[in-house]
Amino acid sequence: MDTFIQLTINGFTLGSVYALIALGYSLVYGILKLLNFAHGDVFMVGSFIGFGALQLLGGSTAPKVPTWLLLVLITLAAMAGCALLGVVIERFAYRPLRNAPRIAPLISALGVSFFLAYSMQLMFGSEQRDYDAFSLSGGALFFNGFDIGNVRVPLLRIVIVASAFALMIVLWLLVTRTRTGKAMRATSYDREAAAMMGIDVDRVIVFAFVLGSALAGAAGVMFALRAPTDVAIGFLAGLKGFTAAVIGGIGSIPGAMAGGLILGFAEAFTQGYISTRWSDLLVFVILIAFMLVRPQGLFGKPDIKKV
Amino acid sequence: MADEETRRERLEEGVPAASATAGPQIGVDEWVARSAERRGGRGGRLGVVEARLRTVPWWAWLTLFVAIVAALPVGFESGYVRRVAFDTVIFMLLALGLNVVVGWGGLLDLGYVAFYGVGAYTYAILSADRYDLHLPVFVSIPAAAVVGGLVGLLVGLPSRRLVGDYLAIVTLFFFQIFLTVSNNSDSIFGEDRAGGPNGILNVEPLSLFGRELPVSTEGIFNVAYLYVALAFFVVVFVALRLANASRTGRAWRSLREDPLAAELMGMPVNWLKLTAFAFGAAVAALTGTLVTALNGSVFPQTFEFPLLITVYTMVILGGAGSQAGVVIGAIGISVLLELLREPGDSRFLFYVLSVLALVGTLRFSRRLAIVLGGTLALGFVVHSLAGAIDGSWTAGAARDGGRLGEWATQWVVVPSSLASWVTPVSYIGLVAAVLTLTLLRGRLRLALLVPTLYLAAFVWENVMLAKPEPTRFVVLGAILIAVMVARPEGVLGEKRVEIV
Amino acid sequence: MNAPEPLLRLSGINTFYGLIHILQDVEIEVGVGELVSLLGGNASGKSTTLKTILGIVRPRTGAVTFDGEDVTGRSTSHRIGRGMAIVPENRRLFGPMTVLENLEMGAYLNRDGTGRKADFERIYSLFPLVYERRSQLAGTLSGGEQQMVAMGRALMSHPKLLLMDEPSMGLAPVLVERSFEIIQQVHEAGVAMLVVEQNANMALSIADRGYVLSTGRVVLQGKASELIENEDLRKAYLGR
Ligand SMILES: Nc1ncnc2c1ncn2[C@@H]1O[C@H](COP(=O)(O)OP(=O)(O)OP(=O)(O)O)[C@@H](O)[C@H]1O
Ligand SMILES: [Mg+2]
Repeated sequence: MDTFIQLTINGFTLGSVYALIALGYSLVYGILKLLNFAHGDVFMVGSFIGFGALQLLGGSTAPKVPTWLLLVLITLAAMAGCALLGVVIERFAYRPLRNAPRIAPLISALGVSFFLAYSMQLMFGSEQRDYDAFSLSGGALFFNGFDIGNVRVPLLRIVIVASAFALMIVLWLLVTRTRTGKAMRATSYDREAAAMMGIDVDRVIVFAFVLGSALAGAAGVMFALRAPTDVAIGFLAGLKGFTAAVIGGIGSIPGAMAGGLILGFAEAFTQGYISTRWSDLLVFVILIAFMLVRPQGLFGKPDIKKV
Repeated sequence: MADEETRRERLEEGVPAASATAGPQIGVDEWVARSAERRGGRGGRLGVVEARLRTVPWWAWLTLFVAIVAALPVGFESGYVRRVAFDTVIFMLLALGLNVVVGWGGLLDLGYVAFYGVGAYTYAILSADRYDLHLPVFVSIPAAAVVGGLVGLLVGLPSRRLVGDYLAIVTLFFFQIFLTVSNNSDSIFGEDRAGGPNGILNVEPLSLFGRELPVSTEGIFNVAYLYVALAFFVVVFVALRLANASRTGRAWRSLREDPLAAELMGMPVNWLKLTAFAFGAAVAALTGTLVTALNGSVFPQTFEFPLLITVYTMVILGGAGSQAGVVIGAIGISVLLELLREPGDSRFLFYVLSVLALVGTLRFSRRLAIVLGGTLALGFVVHSLAGAIDGSWTAGAARDGGRLGEWATQWVVVPSSLASWVTPVSYIGLVAAVLTLTLLRGRLRLALLVPTLYLAAFVWENVMLAKPEPTRFVVLGAILIAVMVARPEGVLGEKRVEIV
Repeated sequence: MNAPEPLLRLSGINTFYGLIHILQDVEIEVGVGELVSLLGGNASGKSTTLKTILGIVRPRTGAVTFDGEDVTGRSTSHRIGRGMAIVPENRRLFGPMTVLENLEMGAYLNRDGTGRKADFERIYSLFPLVYERRSQLAGTLSGGEQQMVAMGRALMSHPKLLLMDEPSMGLAPVLVERSFEIIQQVHEAGVAMLVVEQNANMALSIADRGYVLSTGRVVLQGKASELIENEDLRKAYLGR
């Protein structure tokens, strides 16, 4: 039972990180119908920006600001940096291909992913970077928390899950309630008709990249708070993020959240009850099963081709 | 109908040049709008030469090419050159196979390298001491190709009803599954039966007509392997060429141009996708056998993502859809990657390519002289200033010197030790400068070009040369993006008008 | 000539899709408060004309002048901000959004939402049915209802010029009449209109002037009352 609770907590943490990544895929796919392969690497860059900001603020052992402010600041730095990166990627690698055959931006995205990953390796090497969250406030993030039975839910986990969900709710409100959010939905349904309403489609697309990349940046920090990061994490995390997006129904926001959680739980439980070695494989098997049985995902509508 | 005819007439009348519009617009299909210039051949004297060359039949080119490659070992005694030539032919084979899937089928296959692995493993299982099957190569090699093709069919199956992106995902996951399984094969099948991350060792070399071909004689690469690879290349090239000219080849083309229309016209779209997949997979698997036979072993680490990107870059750079193009792409990238390994070569490559690129874009004009002169002058000024401020800033030694290296350190600032912030700042600055260059026009562009060139030299000397491994892949990624954005049809790709 | 400057003027427009020359030297004018109909067979370039006016496609040569400003190089959203609006071919409602949200999108450029409420009232009084359906998803509406919403959406922005692409397409005869009534009503309120139609009889009966396009050229133009009598036009479009 204790193991079960422990794994559920792990699944929740992991799942909310995946959900944040998945949202980025969904937002961009919703509007451009483009699988942004570079998204996982934006996430990786986010974890590095967070690390850099942490060092600037004195590091975990001697932070210059209170812990809560430190966490907020490094998350904001990562979000801002990634948002900028997202805009640059869109402008230079995708926008020129807006009307090219479908395969062209996909290949460009592969190139961006590769370029980012190895540029980071070139600049920072492939060593691991540890946020060392354990040293913050004398381990408060790990020792404090509340108990379920005999299991302690550490504060860090609570913070990660809570802030991930807060971000998702903000996104949800942004997309459903605001003028720009509605313009985004209109654009993803029918780009030309949206333009006919006076919506500046280019701006909307940039906005989607800003939102998605910022979420990836936040996810990068959350990920790196619980385990060391390195320049290679982007590939697998990106893969899982878009698996989550596909499971939930790509283009759908609640779908991305649900998909992320499903994936997080699946991974945590396989790791706990079977073996770490097979957890990645399981993720892929779930995905392929989904694609066979319900290719549109949990929340997606079947793809109707325009004839 | 009448409309149709007038349209066609208009088409032949020729069209006025497109007026420049600022940036891409919705509905204004630049791809389409620029199709005229993309399709038009070259004018002038070069155009005449080009037209002449086009009349030479493909098999003549092929023969000439094979003859040149076959003659290489005669000119170059060194095992290194032979080995590089062999690796290049392997890349050519891989590129030909991927071209079937991407260039002809128009499908994004991200599991391609796994099929290469399937072939390599199949051959290893059929020929390694460990399994004691020792099938003759005339059985094991075709068997590996067939297994590869069948696995290709299997992987293609779930993607039957799926649109392009989903196919990419399924194949990417297949790739991951392949990697997971091959890395963990020892724990799946038992350590006595599979090697897992340690791979399969002691695979027999090729044997022809009852005689084993030793991999090397007196430490020098056995040139016979190059000839075997070349023979494979010719067979695959011709076979694919014939396949492309067949009914299936034409159907592939229409599938790629407009999948929906192809489906509506009653083409067996799924079957066509599957055959393209299977063809590509079979070629990859076939290639895998050769490499395994040569190396005498196979390891899961060979089949990683960077290899996939490498082959993609070859196909895209050369021009997806054109066999000659992807072969040229394979040679270019293979040689490039080889040169980037050694600091001396890499430096040479950098300066030569930079100057060539400048000449290519600016021609022999005054602007070229200004840019070159300006960059040189800027370099000497910066160098002497830096040296005057702090001697250690220019005290670094050229990596793997040579005369060019010595000369370069007289011009580029190479500090004896780099502060940790210099690398990211200069690199990110370079990327930003290059991206900005693409936005600028006219004088501003020339003005920014000068410091960008110098910054590039600085980054190359101080950052890239020190880390050849990520440099090679950064360069590949950059080529991939640049080609897609600037010239999606590649060097020799079929220039075609897209249907909107 | 001291005729008043028209609201919209296309001069010497040539539009291409890739290599294909669609509009050829098209000259069209719409005066302030005028109702002009644009006729032509399938693929004659009517929709392309409207898209050129809006800047969704850019002409290779020629100029679009609107309300005294040369808008040829300006963005679609600028033009719409200046007072154009369109009821597109096939309505093109935003299916997964509610009717209300669709109307909001029509007033997208009205940032601060001043008078938004009055605008809704205005649309609802013009189309009572839209009010009933306001929280239904637009994709689930019937064709006729969609047409109402599409018109309502276009009117949300108080256009000076309303472009309509085949408003009668796919509607039952009663509804066709109803939508022409509404067109007239809107026109009488002072909005200039350029109405693309296949149904030439109907279109000319309410229009002030008309243009006929054929394979991308204006082949006929004139007063609606004269066009309706024109022999060639009768043969080509009005049937017997
Ligand atoms: N995006 C596009 N790309 C290429 N050709 C196009 C595009 N849109 C329209 N065309 C072509 O332009 C021509 C004119 O199309 P347009 O839509 O303007 O015709 P139309 O007069 O509105 O016809 P209809 O009455 O059928 O709506 C047609 O031949 C059409 O195939
Ligand atoms: Mg039309």
